[in-house]
Amino acid sequence: MSPDIIMKHLPKHIRPRWRYLAVAIEAAPDADIDRGAFQRALWYAAGNLLGDVGSADADLTVFGFEFDAGVGEAIVRTRRGETDAARAALACIDRVDDTQIGLVVRGISGTVRACEESYLGDGRPNLTEDSVAFADDQRSAICRDDVAEISLPEGFVAATELDFH
Amino acid sequence: MYEAVAAYPAGDSTVSRQARTAADYGYDGIVVRTRNATFDADAISNRYGIEVVGGIEVDAADPESAAGAVGNHRSECPVLLVRGGTNALNRYAVETDRIDVLTRPMAGDGEFNHVLARAAKTHRVHVEFDLGPVLRRSGGPRVQALQGLRKLRELVEQYDAPFVVSVNADSHRQLRAPRELQAVGEQIGFTADQITAGLEAWGEIVARNRGRADERFIEPGVRRGRYEP
Repeated sequence: MSPDIIMKHLPKHIRPRWRYLAVAIEAAPDADIDRGAFQRALWYAAGNLLGDVGSADADLTVFGFEFDAGVGEAIVRTRRGETDAARAALACIDRVDDTQIGLVVRGISGTVRACEESYLGDGRPNLTEDSVAFADDQRSAICRDDVAEISLPEGFVAATELDFH
Repeated sequence: MYEAVAAYPAGDSTVSRQARTAADYGYDGIVVRTRNATFDADAISNRYGIEVVGGIEVDAADPESAAGAVGNHRSECPVLLVRGGTNALNRYAVETDRIDVLTRPMAGDGEFNHVLARAAKTHRVHVEFDLGPVLRRSGGPRVQALQGLRKLRELVEQYDAPFVVSVNADSHRQLRAPRELQAVGEQIGFTADQITAGLEAWGEIVARNRGRADERFIEPGVRRGRYEP
C-alpha cells in the first residue's frame, strides 16, 4: 500500500477568496436545531433555487452555529462574488427539520472574526415562563425580552408585550 | 419600504410581533391584511418605530360577493385588497377603481393576460407579485408559481401596470428583509429595482389614500385651497 500523498496547500494568491455572512435565526422557543440540520437545509435550499451549478459556485458552508432557546446565530461562508446568490438561498430556508425558522443576514465580512465582532453576539437569551392576559383570558407564555409565545388551544401565538392587557 | 402581512387571528403572530420583526429587518411600515386583527397602531409605532396601516384583504368566491365586501369596507380602511385566483375575480378586481391591490392573481386557476394588464393600468389597481411560494414551497408547486410570476412580470412590464411585491407572511418568521427579497428576485428574473419599487408601492398606496381621506380633497387633482372660506 502506497502512503497517502500529502498535498501541498495552495499559495496564498491562488486560494479562493471567501465572504462570511452573519445570519440571525429565530424559531419557536422549544425548537432544537443543530449545525448539521441547518447545513442540510441550506444545501437543499441552494440546490433547489440555484441548481447544481449555482450551488457548487456558491459553495455554501455553515461555519459557526449557535442556537439556544429559540434564537441563534450562524456564520455562512461563500465565495467572494457569490454573496447575492448566497443571500437568496438563505432567504429560501423556510424550515429546518420541520421547524419553521425566520432568518436575516445581518452583514457580510471578509473574515470570520470581523463577522463575529461586527454583527453577532447579542448574548444569551433569558427565557421565563409566565402567565399573561391575552384574548380575554390568562394564558401561559414563554417570554424573552419584550416578546412572548403564548399558548392557546389552537397552538402558539407569537406576540409582544403590547398585546398583553 | 412596506410589507403586507397577515396577523393573528388569521396568522400565527400578532400585529405587534410582525411590526417588531419588520422594523428589525428595515421596513418603514406594514399593511395588515387581516380585518379582525386588533392592534394599537400608535403604540406599536412609538415602541418599534414603524408605521402600521390597517388593510382588508377581501377573500370572496365570486365577483358579486367581492363587490358587496368592497362596498362595505372601502371607507373603513386605507388599503383595500382583493384576493384573486380565478379569472372572474381577477377581471373584476383590475376593472374596479375602488380596489387598491389584486393579490395572488396566479394562485389556483387564476390567469392573467394583456386585457387585464391594460385594465390594471387604466384603473390604477396594483397587481401583487406573491413571492411566498418561491420562499416556502418546493418541487412542482414552486415551479408553477415561478412560471406564473414570470408570465405576470412580462405582462406588467409590457403594459406598465402598477404592481406591489409581498411574501404574504402569516407569521413573523416568514418575513424576509428587503435585501434578501432583492437577491431572490434577481435569481428568478426580476431586477433589484423592481423588487424595491414593488415594496415601496405599498407606501405610495397608503399615502394616496390618506390624501383622499383628507377633508381638503375634492377629486383627483382638485384640493380645497388656503383661501377658501
